[in-house]
Amino acid sequence: PDTFEVGTGNLEGVVGLAAAISYIENIGFENIITHEKEIIKYALERFETVPYMKIYGSQNAENRLAIFSFAIKNAHPHDIAQIMDRLHICVRSGHHCAQPLMYVLGVPATARASFYLYNTKEDVDTLIEGIKLVKKILKI
Amino acid sequence: MDELYREIILEHWKNPQNYGVIEDADIDISDNNPLCGDEMRLTISLSQNKVKHILFISEGCAVSKASASLFTEMVKEKSITDIQQITPEEAISVLGVELTPTRTKCALLVYTTLQKGFSMVE
Repeated sequence: PDTFEVGTGNLEGVVGLAAAISYIENIGFENIITHEKEIIKYALERFETVPYMKIYGSQNAENRLAIFSFAIKNAHPHDIAQIMDRLHICVRSGHHCAQPLMYVLGVPATARASFYLYNTKEDVDTLIEGIKLVKKILKI
Repeated sequence: MDELYREIILEHWKNPQNYGVIEDADIDISDNNPLCGDEMRLTISLSQNKVKHILFISEGCAVSKASASLFTEMVKEKSITDIQQITPEEAISVLGVELTPTRTKCALLVYTTLQKGFSMVE
């Protein structure tokens, strides 16, 4: 049937995927998981020092991913994202394509910070700075 | 300190003008921004084709709430015809700040909701 396929196949996609797989295999899944666990543990410890911040999901580092949906008391997630942008912190804000969950949580939206292999503990510290800046600018 | 979160926006966000619901309103219109989840409800009472009272309730960010507070102040006592001639740019200008495209949608929710309400009356 390929005889009748029009256009060029997604060759760059095929090559790209192979490169991505090699990249992950070179680092090793175990190393990625170990790095993430360290970040999760550190992040949960730091988040606890900010009383007006709420983290959704498990507070147990063994039981969650390094992706943190959070709220800051009296601040809308859009305002959180906009202000954090000033410190070059990218967080996502909104429904995250999970409206039923927002409904269950009883919130209009959440902000979300995602950590991975590229992130360091310093990034967690910067996020905490961003949260403090939100409180300062919005005067909440 | 921060251009977007100037005093005027913080003030109208924390103490919005015209916040509430009019019972027995002539126009009762709700709209939302499905991309971000902001919601807006406007209730309006009319007198001789003019906006006599206008109240809003909303769920959204500081920009959308402050914008609704300022815009409802702006249209009070104005005729429907005059309000329909207000452009989106004029509606945003009351905020006095530059907005990014996504935040423009937040600020304009009150404007689009009101214009939708008027178009349903006609």
